[in-house]
Amino acid sequence: MKNSHNSPLLKVENLRIELTTRDGVAPVIDDLSLELRAGETLSFVGESGCGKSMTALALMGLLPEKVGRVAKGSICFNGEDLTTASPARLNEIRGNDISMIFQEPMTSLNPVYTIGEQIAEVLRRHRGMNKAAAWQRAIELLDAVRIPNPKNRVSDYPHQLSGGQRQRVMIAIALACEPKILIADEPTTALDVTVQAQIFDLMRDLGRELGTATILITHDMGAVAEMAERMIVMYAGRMAETGPVQQVIDHPRHPYTKGLISCVPHLLAQLTAERPPLAEIDGIVPSLKDFGRDECLFASRCERANEQCRNQRPPEVGFSAGQLSACWQAEDV
Amino acid sequence: MADTNTQAVKDQDKPLLTVDNLTVRFAVKRGGMFSKKSYLYAVDDVSFAVKRGETLAIVGESGSGKTTAALAVARLVNAAAGKVDLAGQDFLTLEGEELRQARTKVQFIFQDPYSSLNPRLRAAAVVREPLDSLTTMSAEEKQETIDRLFAEVGLHKEQQHLFPHQFSGGQRQRIGIARALSTQPELIICDEPVSALDVAVQAQVLNLLRRLQENFGLTYLFISHDLGVVQHMCDSVAVMYMGKIVEYGDRLSLFNNPKHPYTIALLSAVPSVDKKRREQMQRIDIPGDPPDPVNLPRGCRFASRCPKVVDKCRESEPELTEINGTHRVACYFS
Repeated sequence: MKNSHNSPLLKVENLRIELTTRDGVAPVIDDLSLELRAGETLSFVGESGCGKSMTALALMGLLPEKVGRVAKGSICFNGEDLTTASPARLNEIRGNDISMIFQEPMTSLNPVYTIGEQIAEVLRRHRGMNKAAAWQRAIELLDAVRIPNPKNRVSDYPHQLSGGQRQRVMIAIALACEPKILIADEPTTALDVTVQAQIFDLMRDLGRELGTATILITHDMGAVAEMAERMIVMYAGRMAETGPVQQVIDHPRHPYTKGLISCVPHLLAQLTAERPPLAEIDGIVPSLKDFGRDECLFASRCERANEQCRNQRPPEVGFSAGQLSACWQAEDV
Repeated sequence: MADTNTQAVKDQDKPLLTVDNLTVRFAVKRGGMFSKKSYLYAVDDVSFAVKRGETLAIVGESGSGKTTAALAVARLVNAAAGKVDLAGQDFLTLEGEELRQARTKVQFIFQDPYSSLNPRLRAAAVVREPLDSLTTMSAEEKQETIDRLFAEVGLHKEQQHLFPHQFSGGQRQRIGIARALSTQPELIICDEPVSALDVAVQAQVLNLLRRLQENFGLTYLFISHDLGVVQHMCDSVAVMYMGKIVEYGDRLSLFNNPKHPYTIALLSAVPSVDKKRREQMQRIDIPGDPPDPVNLPRGCRFASRCPKVVDKCRESEPELTEINGTHRVACYFS
């Protein structure tokens, strides 16, 4: 194993993913590099259509067939390049070393199998457990994700569970094989806040116990602040900014990050009668056919945009503690 | 500007909308064919009032009855009991032509701008529909109104000829808002108007709603589960749990000094970017699930999850009691 103490668990270098659309080939991920260490939580933030989920699918080797492909770059997991791995090898890794929690707990469970069968399936497939042992382990896992009375609930069907419980089952499935990386794609958007808080606690505790590294995809800056150590802000397939979460929130170096933080009405510690209008980011994310141009793709929505922004793609400017910003005026933001 | 406006509005003391003891129940089949019919009380004896030009927010988790309460106010579901008074008119007893006339006074902005616009109608026709069915305007008047509304909500005149799928989510919600404004309603019910939108677009729509309120003195009944949005938008708040209002108060009093354990738990569960708030805030866990809504417990509905529960809570249900001026709480510990 090449994996020494210091080398990252996952290393993505200059990844470019192209989607074939009617208007031609569009780079949905354009030159993305990142590192993830064991036990760490990294968060992807951005609006929909910015390439967050596409990154997750690429990591899992689940890009839509014939439409999406890795055009350039590498995804190194434990020293092994996943972009060139065979489908059989990817099948081995998926659900075992890297697993994923999807956004919709309502639709991502199979309605015709009991939750016990769905958890046991993973264990039998990847761990070669026999039926009885896998079933027993499924009960333990349900207990670990704090579903009350797991012995009886294990033979329930998904429709008999509440939304929060279903998401717990999804987590149980994802963690069944004690994966090294857990990718959570908006794991709580469909859930109530109190349930969301419980799911986050659960992910944090289990992550700590198992040493799992987590990639959390979300649009909620509050969730990022609470859950992650580092974050990557994506815009139109490119990394806009990255760095330690608190540092980026305290001093964002990209106008888009700044906008994302200030356009949401956050709960305040002490509320006053004052209510200034929210900061707006005008316009919307550009359409796929505009991706990949040699310009700052955020320029059309940016107050600071000048000629240079509209004519040349900005380089990544470095700041302390690994904070990077892809903005021509990063120093002044 | 805003202050003088709201001041003038406050002088008219009587609230625009008064809801008293509103109850909505749905019949559910449980057990065998001959078993007794049982009812799910989605909204149970709920009272609130909204002043003209102000915003009352109803918050609560899914299944708390907040949307059902609003639907009953708009006469889109039938109330089992209670009284709804809108600008001096007893709204629940209206029938036939009177009801049709009255519908101009209450309009809805829906949650999902993707499914709440007819995909076969052009944007102008979507906005024209309520004018066609509820008013007696001439064709020119209608077109004038539509032009004006499109300008108000920040859409171009040329966009009137496009179909809903040609708009982005935020723009579609703007069409929804224009449609709601078209009959010049007294009350606009906003049911999670931004929860289907991207964060950056949310701000645009929320700012638009506030600007329209300021310009036209609109009254909103604002339903949301997002406490950050509610804090920004409302003048007063009603917190619902299992069909009951558990806490009711004006914006400052409720957010700065929440009393009901459920409200406190809700507020503490919201993740925050504010480092100070994160450090101050003690997370209150409310484990478990809400009780079965068909077989409600005898005492307080929150008792099974409440961190402060005592025997008394399981025996009898606490009433919504006033603790100061406008702030009311249904808890023995307030």
